[in-house]
Amino acid sequence: MENSTSNLATRTLLPWLLTGLVLLSACTTMPRQQPAPVEDRGASSPHSIPQRLPEDQQVTISPLEREPVAPATPLASSAVVALLQNAEQQQRSGQYDSAAATLERALRIEPDNAHLWHELGKVRLGQRQWAQAEQMAQKSLRLASGDRLLGAANWRLIAAARRGSGDLAGSREAERQAGSLR
Amino acid sequence: MARKPKKSSTKKSSPRKPRRRKSGFAFPWWRLALVLVFLGLVYVAWLDFQVYRQFEGKRWALPAKVYARPLELHAGAELGPDAFARELSLLGYHLVPSLRQPGEVSRDGTRFHLWTRGFAFSDGDEPARQLRLRFSDQRLESVEALRGDDPVRLLRLEPLQIGAIHPARHEDRLLVRREEVPELLVNTLIAVEDRDFYRHHGISLRGIGRALWVNLRAGGVVQGGSTLTQQLVKNLFLSSERSLVRKANEAIMALLLERRYDKDEILEAYFNEVYLAQDGSRAIHGFGLASRHFFDRPLAELDAGQAALLVGMVKGPSYYDPLRQPERATRRRNLVLALMAEQGIIAPDRLKHLQASPIRVVPHRAQSSNRVPAFMDLVRQQLRRDYQEADLQSEGLRIFTTLDPQVQETLEQSLARQLTRLERQRGLADKELQGAGVVTSVAGEVLAMVGDREPHAAGFNRALQARRPVGSLLKPAVFLSALEQPDRYHLATLLQDEPLRLEQPTGEPWEPQNYDKQFHGAVPLYQALVHSYNVATARLGLDLGIPAVITTLQRLGLDQQMRPFPSLVLGAVDLSPWKVTEMYQTFASGGFRVPLRAIREVVAVDGTPLQHYPLQVEAVVAPEPTYLLTVALQGVVREGTANGLAQWLHPRLKVAGKTGTTDDLRDSWFAGYSADHLGVIWIGRDDNQAMGLTGGNGAMQVWGDLFSRMSTRSLEPQPPEGIEWLWIDAATGLRSEEGCPGAVPLPFIRGSAPQELAPCARTPVPRPLQWLRELFQ
Repeated sequence: MENSTSNLATRTLLPWLLTGLVLLSACTTMPRQQPAPVEDRGASSPHSIPQRLPEDQQVTISPLEREPVAPATPLASSAVVALLQNAEQQQRSGQYDSAAATLERALRIEPDNAHLWHELGKVRLGQRQWAQAEQMAQKSLRLASGDRLLGAANWRLIAAARRGSGDLAGSREAERQAGSLR
Repeated sequence: MARKPKKSSTKKSSPRKPRRRKSGFAFPWWRLALVLVFLGLVYVAWLDFQVYRQFEGKRWALPAKVYARPLELHAGAELGPDAFARELSLLGYHLVPSLRQPGEVSRDGTRFHLWTRGFAFSDGDEPARQLRLRFSDQRLESVEALRGDDPVRLLRLEPLQIGAIHPARHEDRLLVRREEVPELLVNTLIAVEDRDFYRHHGISLRGIGRALWVNLRAGGVVQGGSTLTQQLVKNLFLSSERSLVRKANEAIMALLLERRYDKDEILEAYFNEVYLAQDGSRAIHGFGLASRHFFDRPLAELDAGQAALLVGMVKGPSYYDPLRQPERATRRRNLVLALMAEQGIIAPDRLKHLQASPIRVVPHRAQSSNRVPAFMDLVRQQLRRDYQEADLQSEGLRIFTTLDPQVQETLEQSLARQLTRLERQRGLADKELQGAGVVTSVAGEVLAMVGDREPHAAGFNRALQARRPVGSLLKPAVFLSALEQPDRYHLATLLQDEPLRLEQPTGEPWEPQNYDKQFHGAVPLYQALVHSYNVATARLGLDLGIPAVITTLQRLGLDQQMRPFPSLVLGAVDLSPWKVTEMYQTFASGGFRVPLRAIREVVAVDGTPLQHYPLQVEAVVAPEPTYLLTVALQGVVREGTANGLAQWLHPRLKVAGKTGTTDDLRDSWFAGYSADHLGVIWIGRDDNQAMGLTGGNGAMQVWGDLFSRMSTRSLEPQPPEGIEWLWIDAATGLRSEEGCPGAVPLPFIRGSAPQELAPCARTPVPRPLQWLRELFQ
């Protein structure tokens, strides 16, 4: 945020000293600087969340899972659905940090929503945070113990996370678990 | 007069002079002149450098601002109308009959009309909106836009600022941009302080002339001839000494400033720099903060009278202080109002009315940085890992925390209220008891923290710093260690609550006693936890092995050294309420360790996110034993040492918890959780003397008071797949059946349940009913 002193010197002192040294007979023109950045707060961030998204937008389809997750565990309130849609969009455009923040916001509203934990796991996978990706999937598994579809999706997420971290045997085991839930 | 150096730079005509007699004797005047001109130029260059550096290279030192969580509004939110009204009042919304501008609310019972202020969050702007909200008793039923009928799915109110991080004595300001300053205020300021502002180049001869004339006629100094630019220069660069040299410097720098920057930039700087009030060790600078300080409104919401008052104060902030000198301030305001009417800023026919209205300033509030000192300690502690103190004090960082102002307030009140009640009830001296408490969400966000019964007293923060023996609060870790071995233990395993005596490694004998000084014989494991039997727990701990219990404690997040003494299992370890919270968080979060967070995000002054503190979880306890432990801890509340909570909580609100009491009743603890929240309370005396309170009649009362006032959901844990519920004979721990006397339902990890049948279950069921029974099995 701060200009270095040398930079300052070149921009202010130097022109003056040069002026003085050559002793120009006429009045010198001072360089007019850029506007002073006195204040720059409150600027909106580059990616603002659109207020409304098309209602028909599909929720959560990732390359990881071919079939859509059937909402056996209800997707609940429209506030959470709105956040899920935002997160989905952010995730698609690679803004993983924003997607994670959006999902955390949704989790504050519905801390027991297994779908949200699963989505957060997918974001962590995108961020190559293998351990957290698996942990989020574990949490989702625990919250939706009766939901086979979501369960299978979670195991595939775990398999992918383990593959990412180089645990191939563990990954195969997770794939097997996923298969057993079909 | 003040222009000398500047002038000298313009009459550099020396090189033209032809009369150069080489007379060896003549003093080389022109060389001296050259040198002087050169020095003059260097001096001006130096001043220019100062102007440039101050104005551009460096911004104002801005304290980091610390915010509470923003309140989320959406249909279905668990938020009652009164809690909502409280939040709005904390945020300084004005209750009005009908909305005219942002920052106002009108209420009709459970219906609200609200004009939000909007806020720039790092993940997007929350615009100012006009809303219609409808509540039921404990719920926000609907949120709609006031104009049009768009349902609003979700929005955030602006977050409450709960503190700032700054040096002990400091300047504070709320920076505003030029375009945020209403023209009313700009015009008033110019009319009062510098009428020629848009015409002069930094100094105004007309202004000086006018001031001279006025002063001569008055026979003293009544009006200054300084332009706004000069005033700004004086404030930014120069001391307040009154001397000709300073005046000269001020003039040169004012000219330099005007050369470099345009009027709007100078005005913006002026609006932010000007000193307007003192609030303890905090100097209020700039109109933005002054508007908040005196009127609790953003600048854009000021009316003519308020603008006049603030502009009038520029001349003498303490002399015209509206809080201490209301009459003087009123006279000054009315003078400014008259000037405004004369200049056409306000309609002349409104003048009388405006002058007659009293000045209204908000009563002086406690400085916001002291609002939640205990929580701020925690925020600073977490920030110190990633930021330099100097940056926190000056870079204008915005720190978004997890604090829930309403939970915080409830915790503060519950603690103070119950301590006072307990002191009266037990004949203790006034203020003899102290206490601390922490509330978190199950996702590990710290919602509230109190480290002193006087919540605004900064100093010893008992929540973080007081390390006390935890007593029975430790027992769940012992029982968890057992339940994690389903081949050896289940909730119905019989433990021997019989006299026990053994030697500690120190050579001292250890003879644990129960609180009721009785021995209870063979008791099922869950009963030992529910009634907090010490001897049975000690035997269980010895059976498991103390190192195994220590391993469990470490898994739950306790990182300190623990000596492997048998007395450890009865809580002979000193922990702060904070550490206890960390330990219980894993239970509350269903077996997942969740690092506790007080900060969500740090954002730079320009709105760029710097750091996000993400939610992290780690499965450290398998789902089945976690479930068994939670069921047992619910038993503690339903039928055990915490059954007194029934007088506090709604019968449908199920919670799990554990009391903790230490020797001679020195420490009283309670830790408990619902589906959404975990709360840990400690009560004791600072001198660590006995106070006569158990966990149940001390800390638990605070907890009950607290949770009865919070909006929280009942704890209804879903059994994991590996769990089966069976009927057990409570006396023998054998399998029983529904309807048998003394039979209780208990969860078991599949395959671990006792097989042997208790007498009642062995009685053959009459044949005609057998099919019915099978149907249910």
